[in-house]
Amino acid sequence: MLAVKNVDVYIQASHILRSVSLDVGAREVVCLVGRNGAGKTTTLRTVMGYLRPRAGTITFKGVRVDGRRTHEIARLGVGWAPEDSGIFPDLTVAENIEIATWTRPGGSPAAERLARAYEVFPVLKTYAARKGPEMSGGERKMLSIARALALDPEMLILDEPFEGLSPAIVPVISASIATVTRLGHSILLAESNIHHVPEYADRLYVIERGEVIFAGQPHEAWKDPGVVRVIGGQT
Amino acid sequence: MSALVSILMGGVFHASILFLVAAGLQVVFGVQKVFNLACGSFYALGAYFGVSAVQWYVAAGGPPAFFIVPLIAAGALIGVTGVIVERGLLSFVYERDETFQLLLTFAVVLMMEDAIRLTWGTAPVSTSGLYLVYGQARLAGAAVPVYNLIVIAASLVIALGIGWLLTRTAFGRIIRATADNREMAEALGVDMRRVYAKVFTLGTALGTLGGALVIPATAAMSEMGVELIVEAFAVVVIGGLGSMRGAFVGALVVGILRAVAISVYPELEMLIIYLIVITVLVFRPRGLFGGAAA
Repeated sequence: MLAVKNVDVYIQASHILRSVSLDVGAREVVCLVGRNGAGKTTTLRTVMGYLRPRAGTITFKGVRVDGRRTHEIARLGVGWAPEDSGIFPDLTVAENIEIATWTRPGGSPAAERLARAYEVFPVLKTYAARKGPEMSGGERKMLSIARALALDPEMLILDEPFEGLSPAIVPVISASIATVTRLGHSILLAESNIHHVPEYADRLYVIERGEVIFAGQPHEAWKDPGVVRVIGGQT
Repeated sequence: MSALVSILMGGVFHASILFLVAAGLQVVFGVQKVFNLACGSFYALGAYFGVSAVQWYVAAGGPPAFFIVPLIAAGALIGVTGVIVERGLLSFVYERDETFQLLLTFAVVLMMEDAIRLTWGTAPVSTSGLYLVYGQARLAGAAVPVYNLIVIAASLVIALGIGWLLTRTAFGRIIRATADNREMAEALGVDMRRVYAKVFTLGTALGTLGGALVIPATAAMSEMGVELIVEAFAVVVIGGLGSMRGAFVGALVVGILRAVAISVYPELEMLIIYLIVITVLVFRPRGLFGGAAA
């Protein structure tokens, strides 16, 4: 579904991503793990079209998307939930979720998309009239993912969905993401903490200093001394 | 009492025009983060275009009582200039430093002034005789031109319309989302080029409409745009950059204070506005409604 091939990204003069390759298949949950500053967010932002690779290709459903503008990539069916949640503070919870049904025509009817978003995060329905600043960090993460779901995407890209959450909330978000996978969406999830990688992840990539140093099954990562050195000490 | 009412109504009339221009400035800044110095030029363009439309209408034998129809139509239609300026010029500097945007809109001010002189000449032009075609109304003993009341009502309707657009329509919510977080809006499928073109055109149309509506009460002059930029800037500082409510309140403050100053001590006309601006900048740098939602 998503194929990132040998992508090089520069930010000004800094070479941030070095020949990064990764694949996400249909209905797969793929995790990109790495320390802070390793290149996870840069990889995801490049897929979303915020950054343009200097070399390499990115295809989604067989269509070249590198060089395309972000809204075009979104309309192709890629939902994005950024690390800071990106909630529109001036809009209510309901408006935040509805907006995606106006901007991506076609696909499932709007009512169905909204019902799906609230089905995964039922608590949001009770907060429908609230605005972003009145929500907790966990609720904002939920809203961010629910809003991406309302776009009716084939794939969701989640940047550190557990970052900054209390340990009590992490299982709630994790269970919701599991529900999303059961709805048939592919997921590419970036995470800095290996212990937050969901057990239902199909594949794991480890990135360090802009290079993918491991690609394989999550349980295999622990057998690689280089990977353990990078991610093993984190709790 | 009648003198006070007369002064106040004159001030509110001016505030109504000022609100339209400042609202255009605010909506463009709120969404595109561009401080559009050319708002005054669009105001002047609307005024000249309005004069031409009314002159053509009268020459074609149109009844004077309906002159406001071609006037409003001309003012709104010339707003399409906004698409040309936005797509043809501004779209190339969005990613650059704000200084480029300021310089570019200032260049538009200079070019428009020359284009107006080239098209309409340097002598003031007006819709002579039509200002009082609707007669005058008596308010607390003061004679107030009915045309002024029509413009005040029109501005109120437009203010309510903008509020409705921003809070009750899908496009308005997309505008507010874009103003909040442009990157995130794009990730939800919002085509920023289209939003920017529409918002800038809306902002331009508000300015040109303001120019057209003021013209029965005054004459169009090529430098009228530059004069209005200063007042619009004062409105924005007082009300708060990017706030539509701020534009409304700021326009009232500037309009009424200016009218009072002209009546009491004309030399203070602009000085009193600058004093208010300085006071706001010192004690409330973000303006009365600074940081508030559009």
